[in-house]
Amino acid sequence: MFDFIFQLFGRFHPLLVHLPIGILLFGIILVFLSKSDKTAYFDSIRLAFLLGGISALASSASGFLQYQNEGFAWDSVQFHFYFGLVTTVTSFWLFFELKNKQVLPFNFKLKSSGLTVLLLITGHLGGNITHGEEYLTEVLPEGIQNLLGVEEPDKGLSISPQNWEQLRYYEGVVQPILNSNCKSCHNPRNSKGDLDLSSYESLLAGGENGPAIHSSDFEKSELYARLNLPLDHEDHMPPQEKRQPKKEEVELIRLWIVNGASTTQTLGEAKVEQKLLEPFFIKEEKAFYPEITLKEVSPDTLQNLKAIGFYSEPVFQGSPFLKVTCINFKTFSDEDLKSLNGVKDNLAYLDLSGTQISDEVLNDLSLFPNLTVLKLNETKISGENLAKLKANTYLKHLYLNGTQVSAIQLEVLNELKSLEKVYAFNTPITEAQDRKKFKFSLEIGGYTLPPIPSDTIVY
Amino acid sequence: MKNLDKLLGELASQKLQAQTRRHFLVDCVSKLGGLAMAPLLFGCDLGKNGQVKSGLNLSERDLNPLASIPPPFLAKAKSIIYLHMAGAPSQLELFDYKPELAKLNDQDCPESLLEGRKFAFIRGVPKMLGPQANFKQHGESGAWVSDYLPHFSQMVDEVAFLKAMHTDQFNHGPAQLFMQTGSPRLGRPSLGSWVTYGLGTENQNLPGFVVLTSGGKTPDAGKSVWGSGFLPSVYQGVQCRSKGDPVLYLEDPKGMTRDLKKNVISAINQANQEDFENFGDPEILARINQFEMAYRMQIEVPEVMNINDEPAYIHELYGTKPGEESFANNCLLARKLVEKGVRVVQLYDWGWDTHGTDRDGSIDLGLRNKCREIDRPITALLMDLKQRGLLEETLVVWGGEFGRTPMQENREGKVQGFKGRDHHVDAFTMWVAGGGVKKGASYGITDDFGFSGIDERTSVHDLHATILHLMGFDHEKFTYEFQGRPFRLTDVEGELIRKILA
Repeated sequence: MFDFIFQLFGRFHPLLVHLPIGILLFGIILVFLSKSDKTAYFDSIRLAFLLGGISALASSASGFLQYQNEGFAWDSVQFHFYFGLVTTVTSFWLFFELKNKQVLPFNFKLKSSGLTVLLLITGHLGGNITHGEEYLTEVLPEGIQNLLGVEEPDKGLSISPQNWEQLRYYEGVVQPILNSNCKSCHNPRNSKGDLDLSSYESLLAGGENGPAIHSSDFEKSELYARLNLPLDHEDHMPPQEKRQPKKEEVELIRLWIVNGASTTQTLGEAKVEQKLLEPFFIKEEKAFYPEITLKEVSPDTLQNLKAIGFYSEPVFQGSPFLKVTCINFKTFSDEDLKSLNGVKDNLAYLDLSGTQISDEVLNDLSLFPNLTVLKLNETKISGENLAKLKANTYLKHLYLNGTQVSAIQLEVLNELKSLEKVYAFNTPITEAQDRKKFKFSLEIGGYTLPPIPSDTIVY
Repeated sequence: MKNLDKLLGELASQKLQAQTRRHFLVDCVSKLGGLAMAPLLFGCDLGKNGQVKSGLNLSERDLNPLASIPPPFLAKAKSIIYLHMAGAPSQLELFDYKPELAKLNDQDCPESLLEGRKFAFIRGVPKMLGPQANFKQHGESGAWVSDYLPHFSQMVDEVAFLKAMHTDQFNHGPAQLFMQTGSPRLGRPSLGSWVTYGLGTENQNLPGFVVLTSGGKTPDAGKSVWGSGFLPSVYQGVQCRSKGDPVLYLEDPKGMTRDLKKNVISAINQANQEDFENFGDPEILARINQFEMAYRMQIEVPEVMNINDEPAYIHELYGTKPGEESFANNCLLARKLVEKGVRVVQLYDWGWDTHGTDRDGSIDLGLRNKCREIDRPITALLMDLKQRGLLEETLVVWGGEFGRTPMQENREGKVQGFKGRDHHVDAFTMWVAGGGVKKGASYGITDDFGFSGIDERTSVHDLHATILHLMGFDHEKFTYEFQGRPFRLTDVEGELIRKILA
């Protein structure tokens, strides 16, 4: 009948713990303040250790009751509890050391320091239980986090877009969803409502309201029903103030239950639509520019290039790769390419459109190994030397609009594995030529919009 | 003890009595003056990262505000062409096909749509108005486009539609400001200004942000839609004349050589520079830069802004007629400007406000005429950018400031002489194309009447966030210190629309 008293007292633990910390620290500070006169604060010190010990005992007792009544796992609280007990005992020990004395005994500062360490450890372990172990580390700069070896938090469900049909529904989708949305409160160490959602077995076992899933019947399955309740409903899970799962995640859970909540079924067998999974596909973005490590170009070098007349900037802030164009440097001729030798590894985007270059320039372009985009629009390039570009193994986009290149000349570019697009609008190349012989996509433009009646009808 | 207190009290009151009006004035000089000084030194204009500008420590950016800066992240697009149909085109006649709405044609609007809502002109219970166009699905993406845009319908696989856009302003001026500056009130920089401020421009002989208008009028919100707000005014859009010479007085006057002109400009700039060193007003720098820009523009502008020399097949493609003010000419100019490294080109076409009050403003007649004026040019622009490989690096945005109601307008409670629709904030269609945009995508679903978005709704801030993302910015980090707090284009909102990213 009066059982609630225990639970109530247990819930006072977070309040009580501050008393021994404050009182004992105060006593310890007084110990260190008693430098020459070892009697000055003697009475206060003795009283502090007595009160500290009593409040530490009350804290330990309330802590133990809280562990018993609030669904904490022993694993997660045991060290905190042990250290709490040791702290209590030490406080009383120090108090009895001072009993019937008038002066601080020898070595007392050392003993007090020991108590300080115990207090700090106990307090820290307790804080970790309340706020989570990453409470302090997550605010640190990333570099320091790495140094301390802090693990990345769970990033949620992610699925590879290839062969997703073969992925096991439970293992690959359901458990990851539970891990990122539910596990922080429902795990073996901390099972709120006696529910543990960290494995299939514990999921089947359910919690204090019975099994979490009711095979095939999603409406009766507590797991889904709670997710599906309105957000402001008292029983909605995850609790209103926590991060909510995506609607696709809830739907995936529902479908899994409808399909019999099996551990062996694959996504393909369950006939899950790709649309549901798309939000979780891992984007395999290939870097546009070469994936190599290079040093950034110095501001002085950039300044020099600008002074010569180039537009030159890193492709983005902090990137070692340079974009160089001759947009305000129309007098650029073959000779001027030499001025780029200083940044030959960095040059990734070069626009020589509208300049005075000749075919000769292609001979020297092989000097720039990381060239990815090359624009030679509206120049005297005849296409003769295109074979020289074979050395530019990263070349992806080549612009030859308004030049004299022919389709046959372009064929040599098939050997460039990385080449994706070639623009040859306004060249001798016409639609009639066979596109299939090119391994890259060729854009020759020449679009027209034949007149239609609606062009001229005025309403 | 008591005596000491008494003595001290007496001393204090003696001191007070000795205070004269002169002391007060002296204090005013040093203290009120200090107060007034504070905003001068650290107040409104803190520049980027809150550095205090002073006349002695000038960065390259101060001397040339349009100098290019690399974007914070790898950008998908380097330029923007924004096509704004001022007046707001009807999504229900162009892209948002609603067969259910046709069935309700001429019936009273259901109460549920009107409850608790305000419209610009609709009063009482209006009639529903079915789609006035014939729709068909086009391309591999199967996008619905009406017969109002026959040419454009062949480009649907190049664009990404945003079909559940929404805004919160139902009058043209505020809605245009919201769409262009992220705030319905005056004073914020436009999208183009933000981008030019953040990236500068590549071609130093041309402005970074050019505005061209057509349709006979400028947008209702006035020139603030391309204004620079609290950013330095050098980042505002440069409006070029759409008829005759795009920029006046580019030719040197008779008898004045270019060298002489150069001397004149350097003399003026030198005087301005001295002024700047005295007062530290950044607007003086903007002035200096404008003179230099004007001088440099003489080289390149006549060539870029002249469409006469374009080959015949290009004129045929766009339907351009050199010399007249037209949206087609502006589209061709936009391509030429982007090709020459201009960062942002903003086109405004006026005349899309189809209330049904007259023939030009009717949804079945006037709107068709407006569509004819843009159908070929827009299609040509996309094709031309594509064939030159520019679509890869250019972001094209099309849209109005809001949408139009599924109900027929009943201004003053009367049936209008023509078919028309009122302003509508809840659902409208826009599209984007080009650098970094997923081709043939469609995002957003509206209800059966096209009244409200029911899924994947997109706010104006979301659109801005996405545009900035494609230009290489994180819209949450791209800020400018003003009046004591950092400002963003997206203010405190905006979410990236990932589903339309390539």
